Amino acid sequence: MNGEAIKAHLPHRYPFLLVDRVLEREPGIRVVAEKLLTVNEPYFQGHFADNPLLPGVLMLEMLAQAGGFLETEPLAGKAIFLAQVLDARFKGAAFPGDKLRLEVIPDASFAGLMRIKGTVSCEGRVLCTAKLLLKNIANPKGAA
Amino acid sequence: MSDLKAEVKSMIIERLKLEGMTPEQIDDTAPLFGEGLGLDSIDALELVLGIEQHFGVKIEDEAAGLQAFKNVESLTAFIAEHRAA
Repeated sequence: MNGEAIKAHLPHRYPFLLVDRVLEREPGIRVVAEKLLTVNEPYFQGHFADNPLLPGVLMLEMLAQAGGFLETEPLAGKAIFLAQVLDARFKGAAFPGDKLRLEVIPDASFAGLMRIKGTVSCEGRVLCTAKLLLKNIANPKGAA
Repeated sequence: MSDLKAEVKSMIIERLKLEGMTPEQIDDTAPLFGEGLGLDSIDALELVLGIEQHFGVKIEDEAAGLQAFKNVESLTAFIAEHRAA
């Protein structure tokens, strides 16, 4: 899955659509996606001017967006937001030219909340691991 | 206080990291969410996991789960019922 198919599923757009390709997708079970970093990414202008490297928090956002593909139904038009970040670890940096592999699996869910476990890696090197809680406020049952 | 009720309260305190709170301070009938103990929906997910790990009770029916989360009394009754089954 790439390009327009990704846009049909996620509501994110330039400059904040951070998934370029979905390589494997089993809704509710596992998603593997990719983000290709180019030197033209807007955040490299200031992070940092002489030493472009990917802000760690954006790796969390990439995992959250990849996690959106665990949902069967398209999320375009729905309001999804990040409710909690747990156990985030940044083990390495990512640079222009890197091809980032985003792997997510669901960890738990209840009443419109889904907790996922994610790993960002590049050529076998783990750069970031975290658990994220995503809230889907379009869920008609709502939450407690 | 029944043993199970005390265990439920201890689990809530431990799981939600309600530091400085003792089981005695949690009222059996005060609402867990909103006013009362002031828990939110993120805490609800933690409680679902805590109940599964600690008591071996899975909450699969969300409506029933939300009903059980009304207060400590209803939650204890829910756990007792489903643990026995």
